[in-house]
Amino acid sequence: MQDSPSATPKSEAETLGDMAPGGIKIAAAVGGSALILAILLAFFSEEGLRHFFYSYLVNYAFYLSISLGALSFVALQHATRAGWSVTIRRLNEILASNLPLLAILFIPLAISLFFPASTPYVWANAEVAEHSPLVQHKEVWLNVPFFLVRAAIYLAVWIWMARFFYTRSVRQDATGDPKLTLQMEQFSGPLILVFAITLTFASFDWLMSIEPEWFSSIYGVYYYSGATVGGLAAVILAAIATQRAGHATETITTEHYHDMGKLLFGFVVFWGYIAFSQYMLIWYANIPEETIWYMARQTPAWLVFSLVLLIGHLFVPFLGMISREVKRRKVLLGFWCVWLLLFHWIDMVYLVMPSFASDRFPVGLMDVCLLVGLGGLYVAGVLRAARGVALVPAKDPRLHEALAFENL
Amino acid sequence: MADQDSHNTPTSTETRVAAVLGRFDSAGALKAAAEKVRDEGYRKWDSHSPFPIHGMERAMGIRPTILPLLVFGAGMTGAIVAMLLQWWTNAVDYPFLISGKPFFSIPANIPVAFELIILFSALTAFGGALALNRLPQFVHPVFESDEFRRATSDGFFISIEADDPRFDEAKTVAFLESIGAVVDVCRVPVREPGIPKAIPWALTFVVCLAFIPPLGVAWYRASVKRQPRIHPLHDMAFQPKYKAQSENDRFADHRAMRPPVPGTIAQGQLELDAAFFQGKDDTGEYVTDSPVAATEQRMLRGRQRFNIYCAPCHGFSGGLPEGTAGGDPKDFDGMVTIRASARAMLGDGTWTPPRALHSKYVQDQPDGKLFETITAGVNNQGIQTMPGYSKQISVEDRWAIILYVRALGLSQNPPEADVPESIRTADSN
Repeated sequence: MQDSPSATPKSEAETLGDMAPGGIKIAAAVGGSALILAILLAFFSEEGLRHFFYSYLVNYAFYLSISLGALSFVALQHATRAGWSVTIRRLNEILASNLPLLAILFIPLAISLFFPASTPYVWANAEVAEHSPLVQHKEVWLNVPFFLVRAAIYLAVWIWMARFFYTRSVRQDATGDPKLTLQMEQFSGPLILVFAITLTFASFDWLMSIEPEWFSSIYGVYYYSGATVGGLAAVILAAIATQRAGHATETITTEHYHDMGKLLFGFVVFWGYIAFSQYMLIWYANIPEETIWYMARQTPAWLVFSLVLLIGHLFVPFLGMISREVKRRKVLLGFWCVWLLLFHWIDMVYLVMPSFASDRFPVGLMDVCLLVGLGGLYVAGVLRAARGVALVPAKDPRLHEALAFENL
Repeated sequence: MADQDSHNTPTSTETRVAAVLGRFDSAGALKAAAEKVRDEGYRKWDSHSPFPIHGMERAMGIRPTILPLLVFGAGMTGAIVAMLLQWWTNAVDYPFLISGKPFFSIPANIPVAFELIILFSALTAFGGALALNRLPQFVHPVFESDEFRRATSDGFFISIEADDPRFDEAKTVAFLESIGAVVDVCRVPVREPGIPKAIPWALTFVVCLAFIPPLGVAWYRASVKRQPRIHPLHDMAFQPKYKAQSENDRFADHRAMRPPVPGTIAQGQLELDAAFFQGKDDTGEYVTDSPVAATEQRMLRGRQRFNIYCAPCHGFSGGLPEGTAGGDPKDFDGMVTIRASARAMLGDGTWTPPRALHSKYVQDQPDGKLFETITAGVNNQGIQTMPGYSKQISVEDRWAIILYVRALGLSQNPPEADVPESIRTADSN
């Protein structure tokens, strides 16, 4: 565009600066103490350890999905050679580069495999396998060593992929070399393919296998749809927080919020579409080995919760976010991001906890402690990744497109 | 040259000013100029550029469109129409039970509702965008300007139409020049208001033409023709061969299908062993003993085939226990029987419950009779109450099923000697 501003705005080159170390300490302290409380609960309450592992899985899946959603967003922007999103891409890169922390946080789930009576992965329990020919049949895939090897592969692939984009993008801040952008564009297509495969199988392994006799081939897409909702909502909130703190105030504009809001709205509907696709096929075929999963979520203890998820994750945000004005006002958009993050967490509870107890509603202090605990560590990790790096890629060759970008 | 009769013809020399066109050098200049035209209070004007310019709508003061509201309304209408359509067709007008689902159930109806939401929304968005923009528009005063051709390459234009209440040729030209435009005045031929006379005539002609195909179809539907119908595409409609059941005068019996030569048997159809293939001995009596050996493998095969072909009606256990005939149909575990009996009770269709296979009536029959029943089914006074299964079940499998039916009989009425001492009751019968 001829009329795009040629001068580089001042706040582009800004980093979090002095704010980061204090924030890291506070977040890590809050998270650490909540985690210690959860561990105490695990050892001093009835069925505590089992509850701990199930609840840990809920919250691990929640925070993992945010980083994976952000990672897929970065890859998608390069694959489509998007110009509009350059100013908010760095925030996604920072969220995605938190994956090494999530690799460390996977360790408790790996440890749970060696507590057969408490692990969510009941196929690792010899007593369960003994009474289930189906579980025995699936032992080729669902066994402890292979499970751990696969987990290592998934995490290694994601960490490498996140670093691939992050390091090149940061290097470009210094050199301004447009070849880096071309390189990322070339690799983004194959990487999306690898990402799709690893995410699908990771969700099969880590979430679907807690009901080892049940299966749904759309499960990976379901987790991805929720992950993208979580990732986009978290990035929008991160952008609002960044601007509140006085950074990137000129580079991230209403237009970027509007477009992120549109994507978020689209993926809310996509989530509903995928969730219904899974439900309808199982409902229609009405085969016991498939319906058992929904039966556990329609017991008196869980039915209301399931309906709340459906209404709160689909219908309410659909009507609430459909207006253009909502997406262009930070306060309203921020409200819906918090709302959707909450319901994304509820979605994770819905996926995991009925397997812990389908005859009662077990969510309580333990789950809140782990939500805060892992959340504190996650935020600390994000701030650590953001420390000393520019919050906007100032020398990206497409930055001027993002700055001049306007919605109709 | 004054020609009184040529008001409608384009050769008329009488012209009027229809619009004023101002050209600017860049997108930036166009945007700045648009803001000034907007502030000046003009209403009927437009900007033209070789490519879309970000922020032009705001510069021109175009208010937000109501199209989103129309699309939302259309989508909701689509959802309601879809629900009403499915409710009327499936639950009211022609209730048809499909795999035991309710006649009207939300999950089954959502796909159609989804599609109708999309269809109604898309058509409204497409038609609404055209209508709100007053498209298609085939002619515009700016086309009179040669200068305007540059709008597709390097020209950035603002056109102000003469219909605008604030339009005044001299003032508007001066205004556009004052904001930096190269001005061109677009003159169009003056003609009488209204539609040219040729258009109604042309439309009438087209409508008349449009009646020809339906009239032709109606004529051919109503009349009788002796000629074969027209085949525009032959494909494989006509083939030089004789079809089954057709005539062929080459043979004395005029049949195109030839019977086998007397005394010949096709491969695999030599069925000499009457006991095995018909269940009858040489004298035509039913055999009492199975012609196959009762091995464990064959028993298991019999159970597997039974559970596939027989259990849907007879139940996995072979039917009602002895002495409870005519009881609750739910006591059967055959799915077909359960559903058919339930419907028959509602007065919908008829159903003869199948025989209990462990009943004395069935178990007293010789093996050969059971074989014949599986092969040909049961015909009760002219009503086929059980179909024959000769096409579905091989001869060998029929004998395996009979072995399993005998086992089912024993399972319900075991000889006392087979019952362990510890669980015998006083009145074992």
